Amino acid sequence: MTLLQVENLSVTYTPRDLPANRAVHDVTFDIDEGEFVGLLGESGCGKSTLGNAVLRLLSPPARISGGRVVFDGVDVTTASEDELRALRWTDLSTVFQSSMNSLNPVIRVQAQFADTFAAHRIPGDVTARATELLELVSLDRHVLRAYPHELSGGMKQRVALALALALRPKLVVLDEPTTGLDVVVQRSILTRLAELRRELGFAVLFISHDLGTVLEMADRVMVMYGGEIVENRTAAGMLHEPRHPYTRGLLGSYADPRLPDVQVTYIPGRPPDLSRPHRGCLFTPRCPHAEDACREVHPELLPERGGLVRCLVAQEDRLPVVRLGAADAAATIGSHFPATGALTDPGGTPDVVAEAVLSVDQVSKRYTTRRGLRTSTTDAVRDVSFTLHPGRVTALVGQSGSGKSTIARLVTGVERPSSGEVRFEGGSGPTVRVDRLRGRALVDYRRHVQMVFQDPFSALNPTRTVAYALSRPLVNFAGLRGTAIRERSAQLLESVGLAPAGQFLDKLPHQLSGGQRQRVVTARALAPDPQVLIADEPISMLDVSIRAEILELLGELVRNRRLAMLYITHDLLSARLLADEVLVLNQGVLVERGPTRDVIGAARDDYTRLLLDSIPNPFAPAKRSGDASVVRSAQPGG
Amino acid sequence: MSTPAPAVPAPGADTEGLQVAATEQARHSRLPGWFVILWRNGKCRIGLLMLGAFVLVALLAPLIAPYDPRGDDFPTSLAPTGGHWLGTTAQGEDVFSQLIVGARTSLIVGLAAGLLSTLIGLVIGLTAGYLQGWVDEVLSFLINLGLVVPALPLMVTLAAYAPVRGLWLIIAVISVTGWAYGARIKRSQIITLRTRDYITAARFAGDGTARIIAREIVPNMTSLIVVGFMGAALGAIGGEAGLAFLGLGDPQTVSWGTMLNQASLGGALLTGQWAWLIAPGLALSLLITSFTLINFGIDALSNPHLRED
Ligand SMILES: Nc1ncnc2c1ncn2[C@@H]1O[C@H](COP(=O)(O)OP(=O)(O)OP(=O)(O)O)[C@@H](O)[C@H]1O
Ligand code: SF4
Ligand SMILES: [Mg+2]
Repeated sequence: MTLLQVENLSVTYTPRDLPANRAVHDVTFDIDEGEFVGLLGESGCGKSTLGNAVLRLLSPPARISGGRVVFDGVDVTTASEDELRALRWTDLSTVFQSSMNSLNPVIRVQAQFADTFAAHRIPGDVTARATELLELVSLDRHVLRAYPHELSGGMKQRVALALALALRPKLVVLDEPTTGLDVVVQRSILTRLAELRRELGFAVLFISHDLGTVLEMADRVMVMYGGEIVENRTAAGMLHEPRHPYTRGLLGSYADPRLPDVQVTYIPGRPPDLSRPHRGCLFTPRCPHAEDACREVHPELLPERGGLVRCLVAQEDRLPVVRLGAADAAATIGSHFPATGALTDPGGTPDVVAEAVLSVDQVSKRYTTRRGLRTSTTDAVRDVSFTLHPGRVTALVGQSGSGKSTIARLVTGVERPSSGEVRFEGGSGPTVRVDRLRGRALVDYRRHVQMVFQDPFSALNPTRTVAYALSRPLVNFAGLRGTAIRERSAQLLESVGLAPAGQFLDKLPHQLSGGQRQRVVTARALAPDPQVLIADEPISMLDVSIRAEILELLGELVRNRRLAMLYITHDLLSARLLADEVLVLNQGVLVERGPTRDVIGAARDDYTRLLLDSIPNPFAPAKRSGDASVVRSAQPGG
Repeated sequence: MSTPAPAVPAPGADTEGLQVAATEQARHSRLPGWFVILWRNGKCRIGLLMLGAFVLVALLAPLIAPYDPRGDDFPTSLAPTGGHWLGTTAQGEDVFSQLIVGARTSLIVGLAAGLLSTLIGLVIGLTAGYLQGWVDEVLSFLINLGLVVPALPLMVTLAAYAPVRGLWLIIAVISVTGWAYGARIKRSQIITLRTRDYITAARFAGDGTARIIAREIVPNMTSLIVVGFMGAALGAIGGEAGLAFLGLGDPQTVSWGTMLNQASLGGALLTGQWAWLIAPGLALSLLITSFTLINFGIDALSNPHLRED
């Protein structure tokens, strides 16, 4: 039976400083009782706006500008606040990405449950009910006595999920519930969610930009582009026969890193600016199959092969057939990595390896934290050794908290090891003992060792232009003055694919997209002409469709400039695409190392295998349906 | 294959974009972003207009005031007349002229003490927050001391025992007692800002601490600094009036506080000179009201959701 009906829904943002923005346009769909529906699309396509509109949680400047939402017979768009309050949480609840931060920081978890029960007049013993709910999400009862800050991100997110399920709702809207969490934690939450749904039978609207997760979890998937639904069909159908060119492009960014041949694709270009009127199909500028008609006629969402699709060419059944996940798929979907390039096959280049520029020798780092009278010590890194070589990428892989970023800090001289040596041998002078540097010498060392940061949104000062950001290393390290600075900045921008540079130099960070910002951050790191580049999760905050682009850029830079790169990540697919060598770090200890293909293709260590199994991969269930239970049993319980 | 350069601009309207959009718009109109945001808020606009009127009066005081505020050759204790709109004091001075010139004093005190205590707060707060360690512990102790010591009694004591009298003494006393609150807010702001990646990036680009604070951190704190200044200026104006009313002001300067002080000493109540008594108090409350109204807009500076009304 239909639980939620959305009919011709439109949402418009009318902010004061910007032109009105048609974030959601004429969206129609249903969700049946107990159905798990995924909503997919890249950043800014209107997913969250749609999710909030369904719950009528929009606040100005957003406004429902047309259509209606009917939930369980109640018209949500016209219901009074009282009716809504009765509906929300009891029948219709939600978990946001930020839910883990929305727990009240000053009250214990138990009190949060008590508040929820009290607000909805649920009688009975709070502790008993709350314990039961926590068990549902695999959390121990002692969590009840904790304050939110004493819990990890994953635990907080599970508390939020338990709260959302507290009143046995009929529909749960999950907006990016696991984005930002580590792969292994993400995997265990999603597994639990799938089991819970089977037990309790609630319906889910699951919003995510991560196609891999959505396809694995959902019964049916809706793909959104530019505020419209462009495809809507069963997950299985979507996986085997995606019919919209955009969906195909999204699917192209996944591959099983264990396959001998790994190929990913991406869709160049950016989504449309929804504040401007568009004629024709919104996807035209990025579509490899676009025809003249596409620029004139706006396609309707029409039934096609058991689903709905909004594409003129697909509706006439003229799209070329592709086998996704196969190597030849690339040629037909958007841009792709060159088949001969190192990116597709880093393991197979038996180059003569040049002398190491940087050696890390039996390094350990112990942190001592003092809390009142007690001191506790943490061994963040234990006895780690490795070397970095020009023209080669070494991937450092591990889950969050495994000590990856500590190693980055030791290598860049931000912190000193408790024992062991870090040596830099690339300079013209004698070997530099990085673990002993201070003051001026440390600044000089940074000329050779630079960083690309994880979050492009915080790595650039919002009040400073691109030109200023690039000028600083040029002034400090290259000693450039006057107009030479601007010329060199422009060259740097062009070397990271931001051309013509003049268009970008005077922009402020907020005027750039995430991918463009990450390019600027990379250009700044290249400015002193370093020999070593440390990239700490450089793509994890980016949209899936941009990730491949940045990876390709990094790969090219390493090969063309003979950089030695330490690529830090928890994502084994990107490690497989970029790295020559992989180091697997578990709780500060290197548990496995070797050429990328050997480590990923034939992982020997249990921990490496756990990381591999945690990667969301839509193709995996099809290929590994037999061992699905094995995957699940490998999850940690808590 | 070449790397495709995204030719299409980013979708301009992310939430963050909205926050900076005002700044951007201001760039075209050559007004600072915070001013544009303040001006948009109805209440705040009234406050700004009122404050503007006070500033104008203060600037043009010598032209507007009909007489010398200290000239005492008029009949004493006159009720309002055509020649003396607000009457005269017990010494025979023109009350209206004093009121006009008093605006000047109040605003000078507000501006100077506001600037001074903002500056002290900025330096101490930034140093504590950026350097951390023992420097922070010492400075934080100072800040907390400044916060718990009640300002008014301290002000009174300082002013009463100071060997000199004068407007600058008042300004100094007010600044010394009023910087702590701003310092604490700035310290906590810098603690959150200093962990941003762009600060680390600036260090990797070879910049020194002073430059990082001045060029990377302070520009991200402008609205906080403006807010702090407004609060400090308001406190200073009230503080000066209070001290002067208690007779601790500079007897040489004409201010609303000294007017109130002399009105009560000169028996304005007994002679029924309501205008003499009420005018300075009313002017003072109007000035304070204008600051309060401006504060409504200042909330919007830090919370973009309040900007959409
Ligand atoms: N407060 C706002 N004012 C104006 N426009 C907004 C506002 N919030 C969102 N938008 C615009 O509405 C559109 C849809 O935003 P929405 O948050 O729904 O995207 P999303 O698909 O959830 O993206 P993400 O994956 O980044 O969460 C975007 O173009 C965005 O710029
Ligand atoms: S309608 Fe044309 S441009 Fe749009 S997706 Fe289909 S083929 Fe591409
Ligand atoms: Mg969203």
